[in-house]
Amino acid sequence: MQNSTPKDIGSINFGLMEPEEYREMSATKIITADTYDDDGFPIDMGLMDPRLGVIDPGLECKTCGKHSGSCNGHFGHIELAAPVIHVGFTKLIRRLLRGTCRECSKLLLTEDERDEFRDDITESRKLGRDLNDVTKAAIRQARKKDRCPHCGEIQYDIDHEKPTTYYEVQQVLTSEFSQRIAGAMQGDEEEGIERTTPDELAEKTEIEITRVNEILSGSFRPRESQRKAIEKALDIDLTEEDTNKLMPSDIRDWFENIPDEDIEVLGIDPDRSRPEWMILTVLPVPPVTARPSITLDNGQRSEDDLTHKLVDIIRINQRFMENREAGAPQLIIEDLWELLQYHVTTFMDNEISGTPPARHRSGRPLKTLSQRLKGKEGRFRGSLSGKRVNFSARTVISPDPTLSLNEVGVPDRVASEMTQTMLVTERNVEDARRYVANGPNSHPGANYVRRPDGRRLKVTEKNCEALAGMTEDSDAEGIQTIGPGWEVNRHLIDGDIVIFNRQPSLHRMSIMAHEVVVMPYKTFRLNTVVCPPYNADFDGDEMNMHALQNEEARAEARVLMRVQEQILSPRFGENIIGAIQDHISGTYLLTHDNPRFNETQALDLLRATRIDELPEPSGIDDEDEPFWTGHDVFSELLPDDLNLHFTGTVGEDVTIEDGQLLEGTIAEDEVGEFGGEIVDTITKEYGNTRARVFINEVSTLAMRAIMHFGFSIGIDDETIPGEAQDRIDETILDANDRVEELIDAYDAGELESLPGRTIDETLEMKIMQTLSRARDNAGNIAEEHFTEDNPAVVMAESGARGSMLNLTQMAGCVGQQAVRGERINRGYEDRTLSHYEPNDLSAEAHGFVENSYTSGLTPREFFFHAMGGREGLVDTAVRTSKSGYLQRRLINALSELETQYDGTVRDTSDTIVQFEFGEDGTSPVKVGSDEEHAVDVDGIADRIVEAEFEDDAEKAAFIGPKQETTNLSEHADSRRLPDGAEVSSDD
Amino acid sequence: MVDVSQHELVPEHTILEDDVLDEVLDEYDIDRTDLPKIKRNDPALPDDAEIGDVIKIVRDSRTTDQAVIYRLVVE
Repeated sequence: MQNSTPKDIGSINFGLMEPEEYREMSATKIITADTYDDDGFPIDMGLMDPRLGVIDPGLECKTCGKHSGSCNGHFGHIELAAPVIHVGFTKLIRRLLRGTCRECSKLLLTEDERDEFRDDITESRKLGRDLNDVTKAAIRQARKKDRCPHCGEIQYDIDHEKPTTYYEVQQVLTSEFSQRIAGAMQGDEEEGIERTTPDELAEKTEIEITRVNEILSGSFRPRESQRKAIEKALDIDLTEEDTNKLMPSDIRDWFENIPDEDIEVLGIDPDRSRPEWMILTVLPVPPVTARPSITLDNGQRSEDDLTHKLVDIIRINQRFMENREAGAPQLIIEDLWELLQYHVTTFMDNEISGTPPARHRSGRPLKTLSQRLKGKEGRFRGSLSGKRVNFSARTVISPDPTLSLNEVGVPDRVASEMTQTMLVTERNVEDARRYVANGPNSHPGANYVRRPDGRRLKVTEKNCEALAGMTEDSDAEGIQTIGPGWEVNRHLIDGDIVIFNRQPSLHRMSIMAHEVVVMPYKTFRLNTVVCPPYNADFDGDEMNMHALQNEEARAEARVLMRVQEQILSPRFGENIIGAIQDHISGTYLLTHDNPRFNETQALDLLRATRIDELPEPSGIDDEDEPFWTGHDVFSELLPDDLNLHFTGTVGEDVTIEDGQLLEGTIAEDEVGEFGGEIVDTITKEYGNTRARVFINEVSTLAMRAIMHFGFSIGIDDETIPGEAQDRIDETILDANDRVEELIDAYDAGELESLPGRTIDETLEMKIMQTLSRARDNAGNIAEEHFTEDNPAVVMAESGARGSMLNLTQMAGCVGQQAVRGERINRGYEDRTLSHYEPNDLSAEAHGFVENSYTSGLTPREFFFHAMGGREGLVDTAVRTSKSGYLQRRLINALSELETQYDGTVRDTSDTIVQFEFGEDGTSPVKVGSDEEHAVDVDGIADRIVEAEFEDDAEKAAFIGPKQETTNLSEHADSRRLPDGAEVSSDD
Repeated sequence: MVDVSQHELVPEHTILEDDVLDEVLDEYDIDRTDLPKIKRNDPALPDDAEIGDVIKIVRDSRTTDQAVIYRLVVE
């Protein structure tokens, strides 16, 4: 009957289970706490009863007859000696107790009120609102009633002592009533309260004088009405709280009488769940497959935590029954009842506040049902949403500039472990045979084959040749050879598509598809231009690879996920992949001064690209040798009809006409990673494939160029002549003097405060300004001594790495260190370090570093520098953890939103979130980044039409006569008004 | 008090007529409860909007000039 797992879940009902249902589905009643007998066989009706399922291989399940692995196990049940509260429902039980009558169990609301709340519930359900708001309001209203509107019974407060005890709190006559009355009748002269005689009291309360005397002597307990009269007459309180514990059996009886119509108002479906089922009388026993026991090395059996807990429950249950039958005193029974409650509670949840967790003999808290499900490592987050997968590999990454950006270098040992299933047909049988013949250990081999009859065979060194049909005696040995209809699990080979990922996967470009290139050694290799999308570097980063296992997945990965399809980022609609670091220095060197190359040099620059013939030389030099300029070499990589004009990185114009770079320097803003203009334009106008070719070629050309010129940086590149150093020292000395002047003015009270600031703030600001100007001046002096070809300058200018500020800090002066945006003000009382006088406001005492990184910092400067440096580290650490959690919450909130075919964005219940995706229905990667860089749609259309037709006549015949533009609307007209005409605009 | 609905940054909110509403619901194939919600006490609403009405909001959009959104008035 159950030989296949159900694949489609039609619906799931959540509700309570009836005790009878537990008994019905139970394979056996469990009565003994023992598990195995002396021979190691499970005891019948014990916790390991063979009818609960099988875990030992080879045995047969006594209930369904299946073997371990295919038998899912069967529930058993324990008949509890006394009802016990289910911890999961304590809040709901409390609510029901408070909202229903203690006598007739009806909801403490009049019928009209009840109907109103029921309508509210239906309304809320329809609008998809939280039903709790309504049910809570209903209970709140019901609690206000002192008496039941149906039977008139007085209602008491319900006290809930966590986790599972409930009390009824009543106000009853105190036992000291006679003393209290007598005391009050004495009166109090100081407070001016008069004495009351018994006669007066009798008169005031209209109680007979004999009764009053009896009450005063304590021999008669006043009735409620009499008590109230006396209380009123003497202005005293004669009551005390009396708590009456509600046993689970009482609660069960109470709940049994709640009418179905009343439950509905509390959001419970009476067809599925009755409130009395929240009090357990039968406990289901999970099948052994859910709590397998393990045999240790020494032959001892070790039981699962759940089994331990069940043993406890059964033991107490039995003791309870024995004691009750023997007629034990109520006190003992109650103790045992509480103990049973404790065990059943911890069986379900062992982390309840207020209850000591049940512990293992070793002292470790037991992992019971709720602990299995909860939290990051629980069933939901740990085993269902995120599980470990086959066909995956992880290793360190390293760079390889010879790979295309679409490729990934896969170590051969990974390639021969990850396999692809190959369906053998007549056309590929030869290939399949070759793989199988190679066996599992030599690279393009195979690990498993599957015969047409479904049998799976492991390919070994021994049988591989026979399987492939390479030996004559294979038929004699009875081994079938592979042929059409077989499946071969072959190793990964060059060109296979795999998925590649680096954590944290913060955007979709963190998981991209790459083509495999099998390589020696042990690391994954990738082209450096894909570092930005993965945010990877090679200081020990590891990445994961997943081999795809079916044709749909492979096709989808190739079409949608390949790196070249991800060049444009949906975050800002420009390219995220482009030249980085040395590539940018390289193109800068190649194009900045437009250097000349002879034929050999030019060919060498272009040797790793598709270009195998040089264009016409750019000119002939003085020695009659032809030469090619950097611009012309670079232009070889551009599409022939590319036209672009914009202001480039270095501030000069970049002009490209018909695929020729006419002027400008190629650097970060031209070919860089985040919005390099040329890369962006090529991707949008010529497609991803052309862009991939371009990026690959730019990076290889740049590497050739940077190697041609040679590029290195050392400490000598940041040192400046002594004369410049003197000028810097002078500048700083000067700044120190001015700071002193400011401080003197401040001390003399002559400093005028800036608007909106105190004097102290003004001083701080002015000092900061002075010092930062000093740093800038020092930097400027240092900068004067750096030539254009200084490598640090090249990198900063081109945007490859670093900035001029970094350079001036190395050569000139490091400048003011700051913590929380202020000069350093912490440490000792009134001073930063014990090296300074208290209240020293000077630059030096508050973290101004006069030295440069090359000249070296003094110990005190170094200390202040470390303070500022630490703040940066702490900030990043805090930011990553905060943003990680924010991201998790955002993803959970938005994960089920989906753009539909009609352009709307809806959630899973078809509620509309956006009427048009992003209000405009456009994808950020399909549009221009801004008005200046709009995608030239007409240009693309013209180019395609041009390529399609051989001559103008043919084209004209296809396109038809040219239509005059129609005057669409006045609104459109107003935009085309000639210059100078008045246009009123409202935006 | 300031009437927010007259502020230039508050887009136009109009109550949808029943027949137009049916067309809209038909177009998107939804019940009115599947629409985004707006609270009755939202100051941008017209004064005569009642719970259960559907409001049409026309916003200026940077990319599409005008974006139309419908919302159901709830308590």
